Amino acid sequence: MNDHLSLTVLGWIGIYAPVALGAIGAAIGCTIAGQAAIGAMMEVSSGYGRFVGLSALPSSMSIYGIVVMFILNRPVTPINSGGLFGIGVLSGLAFLVAAIYQGLCCASAISGSKSKPEIFGLALAPAAIVEGFAVFAFVFALVAAGGIPTS
Amino acid sequence: MSPRYTTLVASLPPLGGLFEAREPAISRLKLQSRLSLLHPNDRRSLDRAIGILSQGLFETSSDDGGTSGGGAAQGGAGGDALLLADTQRFFREVSNPLLRQLVGHRLDLRTVVAALRRRHRGESEPPRDQAWGYGPLLPTIERHWSEPTLGLAGVLPWIGEAVRLLESNDLIGLERLLFTLIWRELDRLAQGHNFDFEAVVIYLARWSLVERWSNYDTVAAARRFRQLVHGGLGRFTDTIAVCAAR
Repeated sequence: MNDHLSLTVLGWIGIYAPVALGAIGAAIGCTIAGQAAIGAMMEVSSGYGRFVGLSALPSSMSIYGIVVMFILNRPVTPINSGGLFGIGVLSGLAFLVAAIYQGLCCASAISGSKSKPEIFGLALAPAAIVEGFAVFAFVFALVAAGGIPTS
Repeated sequence: MSPRYTTLVASLPPLGGLFEAREPAISRLKLQSRLSLLHPNDRRSLDRAIGILSQGLFETSSDDGGTSGGGAAQGGAGGDALLLADTQRFFREVSNPLLRQLVGHRLDLRTVVAALRRRHRGESEPPRDQAWGYGPLLPTIERHWSEPTLGLAGVLPWIGEAVRLLESNDLIGLERLLFTLIWRELDRLAQGHNFDFEAVVIYLARWSLVERWSNYDTVAAARRFRQLVHGGLGRFTDTIAVCAAR
């Protein structure tokens, strides 16, 4: 009975983990990049919009988390709980870390491009590469979720 | 690396190269206002470090008319004693590794320059009755006082160049060399610090170098201007004097 309960709990953790961890990471990443945007706006007299826009980039991680949660969402049984937990927690951790580091990349891009607006596009490249790794985690979480039994 | 000061660091303009700027990219007043974003504890540590770092490399008791006028104001050996007391207090109270490293490096540099200048002034041995230097290099310097490079050529590859510049009385060249060394050290220390307290400290250290150098330039420009005016009017000095007499 206890084993059954534990497995069920693990399964539910796995279902909700991508959203929770993705949201935590996105909050931290957006905070870091947002602080940089505020700092840059203290120094420049125009181009505020693109700094604020860039600081919202890490929020995509919570969207990936939501999609993975919908894909994983199904009745939890002892058979599928292990798979749900593994895919949910690991993809959530990937989104969490990617969001924080993407926030740092965005902060550097904002800080660097405030005095050299011409490098704005290139300065986005590190954040885009981090996004690429998060997309790998997202896509393969969807692929792997296809193999988890629904009941 | 904790991105604690993202707003502060992002609000600071880039300083550019050390010898490129005619003036710092941000004024002292504006910088002070931005530093109000620092946590009080960090601000206290920073103020302690700045108290030591802001003193010029030439401001020692051995000051014999160097490029900085601040040394005289410091009051010779009294100034050195004060600095050493500040230093001991700093190392007692501040635990930040980067700040300690930065101050330690600056004091090493200052000790070496003080020794070279004392010897250049004709002192045949290190001072025995007063504190004149600080740091791990001090015993080596005192032991090898009579050697051209104070026995430090292996540790400090630039010391030969510093000795040559000092002996040829190229004080500006020597200052330039020392500033370059500090700038390189800051480059090294800046690795991995983007938006944390250390990044703020490194920015301030760089800003202080740029500001000091640009002030030197101002002083040099004023001196040059006076020379040119004097040279230009020189031929007419007699005429003016005759006119005034009439």
